[in-house]
Amino acid sequence: MASELSGRAAIVGLGYSKLERRSPRPLAHFAREAAEAAVADAGLTIDDIDGLGTIPNIAAYGNTGDLEGIDIVTVPNMVRMLGREHGIRWHVQTPGLCPDTIMAAAAAVASGACTYALVWRAVNVPKGRYSDFSMAQARGEHQFRAPYGFTMPAAWQSVALRKYMHDHGSTREDMAAFVVQNRENTQLNPKAYWCGTPLTVEDYLEAPMVADPFCLYDCDIPVDGCVAVLLASAERARDLRQPPAYITGYAQTTWPTRGGFTDSENMWEGGAALGEKLWASAGMGPDDIDVAMLYDGFSIFLYVWLEALGFVGRGEAASYIASGATALDGELPLNTSGCSLGEGRLHGMAQISEAVLQVTGRAGARQIEGAAHTVATVGAGTLASGGLIFSREARA
Amino acid sequence: MSGGDAAVTKPVPVPDELTAPFWEAANRGVLAIQHCTACERYVHPPEAVCPDCQASELTFREVSGRARLYTHTIVRDNVTQGFAEDEPYVIGIIELVEQERLVLVANVVGVAPEDVRIGMPLRVTFERLTDEIALPQFTPDEGD
Ligand SMILES: [Zn+2]
Repeated sequence: MASELSGRAAIVGLGYSKLERRSPRPLAHFAREAAEAAVADAGLTIDDIDGLGTIPNIAAYGNTGDLEGIDIVTVPNMVRMLGREHGIRWHVQTPGLCPDTIMAAAAAVASGACTYALVWRAVNVPKGRYSDFSMAQARGEHQFRAPYGFTMPAAWQSVALRKYMHDHGSTREDMAAFVVQNRENTQLNPKAYWCGTPLTVEDYLEAPMVADPFCLYDCDIPVDGCVAVLLASAERARDLRQPPAYITGYAQTTWPTRGGFTDSENMWEGGAALGEKLWASAGMGPDDIDVAMLYDGFSIFLYVWLEALGFVGRGEAASYIASGATALDGELPLNTSGCSLGEGRLHGMAQISEAVLQVTGRAGARQIEGAAHTVATVGAGTLASGGLIFSREARA
Repeated sequence: MSGGDAAVTKPVPVPDELTAPFWEAANRGVLAIQHCTACERYVHPPEAVCPDCQASELTFREVSGRARLYTHTIVRDNVTQGFAEDEPYVIGIIELVEQERLVLVANVVGVAPEDVRIGMPLRVTFERLTDEIALPQFTPDEGD
């Protein structure tokens, strides 16, 4: 029995800014570019937009900035840039990750709180080293990590890959199979940062180690850019320019990260708890999904999500990927656009947008024929994670 | 672990209402972990309410300081201030013998990074940072 919200809202427009690195342009310009593109994609004009939502925090961790228009682009800033001081009836800012904001916007358009809600995620590459931690004092959650030099997200997640390799006998060659397959998919995605730059198994195995066993290519590629999606009710969605991607399933995590990314089992437990809610909300299961976009801010998350959502059993993800099952011509095409590792660190919007494109038949050279249901997950299973199921028809 | 550039110190823990007993014990060379009076489970990092049984009566209890290595990483490209001289350094997720999945973060010291193994027995040792703060660290436990 699906949730009452299932199928009542849809993504009807999608817009990308250019994806660059260390651009001299302010982030606000990227955000406006994406917003205008999403509205035009739906065949609407800015004056039609009466709802706004964003994730107003930086995508990095550490002592990075939060300057409006440079590091973040908030709702008030977007209101000004679009000249919509009088037209916005509903808005929300949800710190965390984009599924929370998209769910809020879906509820808003389904309930009539607003008619067309624009949700954007603008991210930039901060100045200096990504995730620099230069604080002399370690307060709060930092006090049990920072004094040990454990401040870098890549280090937090690399411990999970080492434990997985130890517990399940997987190897770096297994992960190379995924990363290389992912980079091949990326070559079919012209908007991806790594489009035009192939990667071999040798490149992966010989890449510099960041936090062993994580090398450079286990980490996504930070970019300056913005992705925006436009939401409307199912009734409105039918009359717009593009085929709608109906939101038929959704879930938000409520799983605590006990100890702050120390016990990696939390990610599997949290992911599984999220998966239960996700499948229940849609009245579906893993077998119903034609294409999966699973969060890959770090490579290990693919193993977490494949197993936690029940696509494969615990400990089976590495061999499943290595078998070719997740290639474009496999039984579960995975991250067909290259997502965060290949397209760019867009904090989940790469997953959302590709799930929308695939289910609406708009994925070009990488289109999976007949994709009727797609899934996108964002996060590490715990802490701000979320998932969405998109369907070609409003009812499953 | 050496300090590196004298002008750039490693981040120093700032005890708060929840964590002060942990750091106060560590400063005396004792590893004390928060413990729930109701369900008798250990909790780390310290919490206001027991995450296992939701009781709010939590005290600190001295533990043996014996542990096994749950998992680890070897940092070769650090971004934490004060650690540049230490590269490569090992960050261990340390599972205390008192309770399954009772883990804390520490550097694994006194062993070459390439010789560190998941499951290896460890014991606590303390690294003095300031007059008030000594950091629990872990080193191979060669046996009884
Ligand atoms: Zn308890």
